[in-house]
Amino acid sequence: MSKKVVIPIGPQHPALKEPASFDVTLKGERVADILVKVGYNHRGIEKACEQRPYLQCVYLVERVCGICSHSHSTCFIQAVEEIANIQIPPRAAYIRSLIGELERIHSHLLWLGVAAHEIGFDTLLMYSWRDREVVMDLLALLTGNRVNYAVNVIGGVRKDISEEEKGQILKAVDILEERTKYYVQVATEEITLIERLSKVGYISKEDAVRLGAVGPTGRASGIKRDIRKDDPYAAYGEVDFEVITDDHCDVYGRAVVRIKELMQSYSIIRQLLKKLPQTPLAVNVPRLIPVGEAVSRYEAPRGEDIHYLKSNGTDKPERVKLRAPTLANVQSVSKMLEDGYLADVPIVIAAIDPCFSCTDRMIVALDDVSAKKSDRMDWKSLREFSINWYKKNRGIDFTKIKKMGK
Amino acid sequence: MKTANDIVEKFKETYSSFIVEIFAQRERRIWLEVDKKFFRNSFEKFVNQEGFNMLSTISGLDLKDKYQVIYHMCNEYGVVLNIKVSLNKENPSVQTITDLFPSAELSERELEDLLGIKVEGLVQGRRYPLPDGWPEGQYPLRKDWDASVLDKKIEKVSDGGKNE
Amino acid sequence: MKIVDKVINWARLKSPWVIHFNAGACNGCDIEVVAALTPIYDIERFGSILRGTPRHADVLLCCGPVTRQLKDRLVRIYEQMPEPKFVVAIGACACSGGAIDGCYSVVSGIDQAIPVSMYIPGCPASPDAIIDGVVKLLKSYEESLKQADKKNENSK
Repeated sequence: MSKKVVIPIGPQHPALKEPASFDVTLKGERVADILVKVGYNHRGIEKACEQRPYLQCVYLVERVCGICSHSHSTCFIQAVEEIANIQIPPRAAYIRSLIGELERIHSHLLWLGVAAHEIGFDTLLMYSWRDREVVMDLLALLTGNRVNYAVNVIGGVRKDISEEEKGQILKAVDILEERTKYYVQVATEEITLIERLSKVGYISKEDAVRLGAVGPTGRASGIKRDIRKDDPYAAYGEVDFEVITDDHCDVYGRAVVRIKELMQSYSIIRQLLKKLPQTPLAVNVPRLIPVGEAVSRYEAPRGEDIHYLKSNGTDKPERVKLRAPTLANVQSVSKMLEDGYLADVPIVIAAIDPCFSCTDRMIVALDDVSAKKSDRMDWKSLREFSINWYKKNRGIDFTKIKKMGK
Repeated sequence: MKTANDIVEKFKETYSSFIVEIFAQRERRIWLEVDKKFFRNSFEKFVNQEGFNMLSTISGLDLKDKYQVIYHMCNEYGVVLNIKVSLNKENPSVQTITDLFPSAELSERELEDLLGIKVEGLVQGRRYPLPDGWPEGQYPLRKDWDASVLDKKIEKVSDGGKNE
Repeated sequence: MKIVDKVINWARLKSPWVIHFNAGACNGCDIEVVAALTPIYDIERFGSILRGTPRHADVLLCCGPVTRQLKDRLVRIYEQMPEPKFVVAIGACACSGGAIDGCYSVVSGIDQAIPVSMYIPGCPASPDAIIDGVVKLLKSYEESLKQADKKNENSK
């Protein structure tokens, strides 16, 4: 029996782009247990939404997450429109879907790069992020901003797509499709990638259902669930696409699902542009939203995003509840890591495409008051301790070194 | 069993003793209120017999005169079943569903931390989402709560620690 | 100025190593920081590379309104960086709280927790703005070094 060692990972860690911490208990090289601690990114957005008018809420909700900003704002607006019984014009629905798909492309390419970085395949990171810039330029062209597009308004969208822009979208999609074919080739033929990702982070279909995995994480375990198909919103009822699933159930499966979904997105964009109806962009909306409640669902790049909204007849919501896909997926991470290697931890965490700013949108944090009572050191005394330790044992006085440097 | 109206009809027939109110808001949206006494019993039936086998999330509400918990469930046809349970203001508590859905753990801890609704049978663990040092009895999502109880003052690092 | 110092300063100006920290940001600025490192913008042209540990870094690229939970961690990371160190606040939230200002769980701006040398506004700040900010920061540092040098010579 080897000794158990606890290794804390995070909140600041090179493998994590966002703060979250994982206490990994190791038995030798293998993970015995993992404790996930999220909540570093809490800003209190749900409470803030209750204090702001609907129009401001849209922009606030958009800033829940910078990567899936359009997902959150669309999901929230759909709930508002359902309560107020507003039918948006078809062209607006098409444009929402179009921006949503462009966002999915940018998010999946981003994920591909981050995942490649976690396994030390930086060439792929540079490739996929270079291609991602094609989508970013397109989004900047269509909406005026690279991230946080703010294209939605209650009752429709605020910006039209011109014929010229249509041509540019199609051109960009052609370029991206060509590049994605290359990634499909890499994913199916590159032996290092297959060997590195196969059998890592395994989760069976039963476990995935039980733990509530959504989006590509669930679909890679064979759960055929996609809100775009199950509960069509915007213009998804009018386009033809396939829900990609995979039965590998591991990180490799998740990579394959995402890459194949890119191909579906290109096809959806082409169909949307072909059918784009000629109607106004938005309808007029009353400032006061009637009393009611609604649940709105949206297939964000990471999975199902669900918003619950309750209105009380004023210009401010009574209660807004957001559930981002990462919250559903983060609980399956401990199952995926069971008996895995420590070296697999970063890629398994990255494979669910975590987005902790979404997850933590409503978690509150305060200074650790109770730490003083326990035998844990707060960071100031820990720092003093380390300075004294070096002085005593190594004869280095850090305070002096600082003065010399000046 | 695919459309919301069929499900509503069936539920009205089968579970009339549990249900306080049920209606289909639109295609694929069912709202349902059950009596707290029968909550666990009926919840198990909805999950095991009616095929609502996926929990999306749990919302907690402060309705001023009472608390309400809403379980957002869905089945494989994309129908969303919103199960409401009303709780009294004095001593709000609800039974856990973590034995059926382990993924409900974080949502239930949210209920405990942010609204002060006691979840019976929830195993001890790291509190979520509030940190360990959070003052007792402060529940930020309650309507009568305001942030002034928190000490907003933040200590600044003295000139970047250069003179330390 | 000693020749060793001259070499160190030259190296520091030619090759600032950066560390990135998300202090409760929405990810928008974070992905733009990473985008600045990748081929189209390529901050490595200026000798910058992203480091994993604050002990190796000269510049802290920091985004987000600083949540209460992360404030202590941010200060700790800042303290671990060797002198001279610079902090760049990226994005509207990091500059002043932005859209998140007023929420009960944030302290509204990096400068509420640690001293900031450069503010880059924008929601999110675009990669070219980030690169421009870092380059301008180094220029101003170069200027201040030159002035300090002049002062020293005059006093001799």
